[in-house]
Amino acid sequence: MAHQMHAYHMVDPSPWPLTGAAAALLMTSGLAMWFHHNSMLLMTLGLLIMLLTMFQWWRDVIREGTFQGHHTPPVQKGLRYGMILFITSEVFFFIGFFWAFYHSSLAPTPELGGCWPPTGITPLNPFEVPLLNTAVLLASGVTITWTHHSLMEMNRNQTIQALTITILLGLYFTALQAMEYYEAPFTIADGVYGSTFFVATGFHGLHVIIGSTFLIVCLLRQIKFHFTSTHHFGFEAAAWYWHFVDVVWLFLYVSIYWWGS
Amino acid sequence: MASRLLRVRGALRALRRPPPGPLRAPGPAPARGLAAGGIPSDEEQATGLERKVMQAMEKGQDPYNILQPKRYAGTKEDPNLVPSISSKRIVGCICEEDNSCVIWFWLHKGEPQRCPSCGAHYKLVPHHLPH
Repeated sequence: MAHQMHAYHMVDPSPWPLTGAAAALLMTSGLAMWFHHNSMLLMTLGLLIMLLTMFQWWRDVIREGTFQGHHTPPVQKGLRYGMILFITSEVFFFIGFFWAFYHSSLAPTPELGGCWPPTGITPLNPFEVPLLNTAVLLASGVTITWTHHSLMEMNRNQTIQALTITILLGLYFTALQAMEYYEAPFTIADGVYGSTFFVATGFHGLHVIIGSTFLIVCLLRQIKFHFTSTHHFGFEAAAWYWHFVDVVWLFLYVSIYWWGS
Repeated sequence: MASRLLRVRGALRALRRPPPGPLRAPGPAPARGLAAGGIPSDEEQATGLERKVMQAMEKGQDPYNILQPKRYAGTKEDPNLVPSISSKRIVGCICEEDNSCVIWFWLHKGEPQRCPSCGAHYKLVPHHLPH
């Protein structure tokens, strides 16, 4: 049997890139069907196939790394680069929405009353729930650092406790934000204020949900002894993503909630 | 799937139960990470190619060419030693630092060969990969 003489991982053929592409096609065409032809079938199917693809693809990555040992140091380095590049691309994604917000709010048009917040908009008080949300996310940043140190120090119980608290804080943020959305005196249809507010905070909320899901997967893996004290990149990637989510919130809070009121 | 979820629930319940009596069992503390703090070490749990790389590194070996190749003087007396699993290997010589033109050539088993551009000596060292 031929053995490789390099430390890289030549991945076995996999159907998930194809199913992922199919899901993307179904979701995009499904969106058009929903907008114009009053049918959510295609979009729902696309969403389902996307979720199945993600579950099975990442399950395979875990099998290859944790159970088969393919994640040698060079491979891990590549995964690190990959995660950093992905988070960087997400940073630019949010920069776009901040650009839109500042474009509209620094020079408010006459249609808005020449002021920001626009005439008729009662913004949320930044020192009420939004401030609590800031504290919640900052605290979750502390607890995830606690998790990492416990993991490196081979303390299983504290790793699990700290990671659980981090996840609970993330879920608490989501619940608070959902309540804020329900109770807000303005909607996404309320001019450019509503658009910038709900698109920016909405995408952030989606990223909080994604990050929380990533952390829950890490918790399950930690309980099942996947991570070692020196090799736990899945957790590190989740932690990087979580810190990114926290930083985006801080910018949102200062720009939209605080300065923007 | 459902059985896996039940197992996780069982594991979580076991975690919530406080440890009975003193936190550590009496007797000598084992050196293993899993038994001591509950989180395994790579020594206990690494497998496959990752384990092979780890064990080779501990012995000071690099059979999978992860590290930069060793630099030799490149003279007749001290040629660049090039490990290979077969009887020939491609060499890319960067004659001077920052040269963008890499000199590629096949290095064969036997007598040391010289780079056609800078004359550095290279000698193939055939060896078998551990498996």
